[in-house]
Amino acid sequence: MSLEGFEVAVVGAGPAGSAAALTLAREGVQVLLVERGTFPGSKNVFGGRIYSYALKRLLGDRWKDAPVERFVRKEGITFMTADSSFSIEYESKDPTGSFTSIRAKFDKWLAEQAEKAGASLITDSRVDDLVIEGGRVKGIIAGQDKIPTDAVIACDGTTTSLARRAGLATMLEPEEVSMGMKDVVELSAERIEERFGLEPGEGAAHVFVGDCSGGLRGGGFLYTNKDSLALGMVVGADDTSTKAVPSHTFMDRLRNHRRVQRLIRDGKTIEYDAHMIPEAGPKMLTRPYTGGMLVAGDAAGHLLNNGYTFRGVDMAIVSGIAAAHTILEARKRKDYSAQSLQTYERKLREEPALKDMYTFSKVPRYLRNNRLYNVYPDLVCNAAEAVYHVDGNGKRKIYKELRAQTKGKVSTMSLIRDLLAGARTF
Amino acid sequence: MSEKQEEMSLDKRLALVSFNKDPEPFIEVDTKLCQKCEKKPCLYICPAQVYSWQDQLNYNTEGCMETGACLIVCHKIGAKAISWKYPSGGKGVSFKLG
Repeated sequence: MSLEGFEVAVVGAGPAGSAAALTLAREGVQVLLVERGTFPGSKNVFGGRIYSYALKRLLGDRWKDAPVERFVRKEGITFMTADSSFSIEYESKDPTGSFTSIRAKFDKWLAEQAEKAGASLITDSRVDDLVIEGGRVKGIIAGQDKIPTDAVIACDGTTTSLARRAGLATMLEPEEVSMGMKDVVELSAERIEERFGLEPGEGAAHVFVGDCSGGLRGGGFLYTNKDSLALGMVVGADDTSTKAVPSHTFMDRLRNHRRVQRLIRDGKTIEYDAHMIPEAGPKMLTRPYTGGMLVAGDAAGHLLNNGYTFRGVDMAIVSGIAAAHTILEARKRKDYSAQSLQTYERKLREEPALKDMYTFSKVPRYLRNNRLYNVYPDLVCNAAEAVYHVDGNGKRKIYKELRAQTKGKVSTMSLIRDLLAGARTF
Repeated sequence: MSEKQEEMSLDKRLALVSFNKDPEPFIEVDTKLCQKCEKKPCLYICPAQVYSWQDQLNYNTEGCMETGACLIVCHKIGAKAISWKYPSGGKGVSFKLG
């Protein structure tokens, strides 16, 4: 393939990159989509779920061709101590609002849609550097190839060397990133449906908080695929490394809990995956654009963990679309200067889906409160034990029991402060 | 508990991941600096335990899952000894079920 004549280079064929490339190609832009893996998705890992709206926005009715594992019908959360657990489950009335998927299938499929629209995909190519001339990004350098373009969209993930190269980011702080790990556990579709109380094709998503992270900032997750479970842990990079607990050990902590053991029983682990998750939000970049370049997806912090929903792929797709629209406007003006591209930031702020990042911008700080992991899950479980357990030695009223449970674990002041802050944050 | 409970270990996990070794060194560590590193955060953050300690820092890039977290903790908590980039195009880890 000749690497001449491309107007835009999109770096990284994940959801942000493919959404951007597709949107541009559709409008007749000559776009090159560059992926370092042997195929799109081969380097990518996520918990397991994609919110459908973003895909509908990108593809209209054709979103239904996406490689769906299961549509998520059941949402659940479990608070756990070492030997007890308290679970809540919600069954949604929306049959297709979100679905579980596998990135090696999904990202590959999405990149194919971009190709069908006219984008050129090259794989096995690591972009090593940017072409920078007169303070403006003018292309990319991959190995021996210098590829001149009018603009670059950097969708190169959490580590985003391109944003740093362009001076838009410094290195992230350990408390701004988490380590995500997962085991994929093979289990028959019938077993999954029976075990989780699902109709064929329906899926479940579950979050675990408490004992599984050993009191550190983090939690567990479980998503049902067609015939496997994605079971994983996310732990704060600062916590796991300064408290000297090897990150992978949390996987066994989760798996060995009796609540989880029963869910994966008779399953066979068929893959282990890991990925770093940026938790800082859009502030991980000083700004998401510079002369000749835009940044989208994980690389721009476009994802959201508000403690109960974990969104990355939908945000990446939406930010990729916004980046493409910014480029299309700049192309009309024939002006790719920083000034011309600054409309990108406004688009991001006005885009309703991405606005959620700003609505919940205080969440990351709230979630750094370790009482959420080492005090409250215990409190919930112990209170439930006190309420449900009858031993003939006399019962206290529930309120008195709750008061007794908090004693010595958390001061009334802290409890009230956390509750009020929670009400303001979420 | 059921006898069909699977016992897992990191070695078992890593055996399930496909790697295509990059002949180029994409991780380099100035291990002299590690001698003075107090917290040695790389030993704990890496989900594949690429880094280990036996009198000195040892590392084996072959199991690297390319999270890039070692670079951050080394530079912000550790001794700023690690230089890290992604492996060459098409090399390194390949996830099938990520």
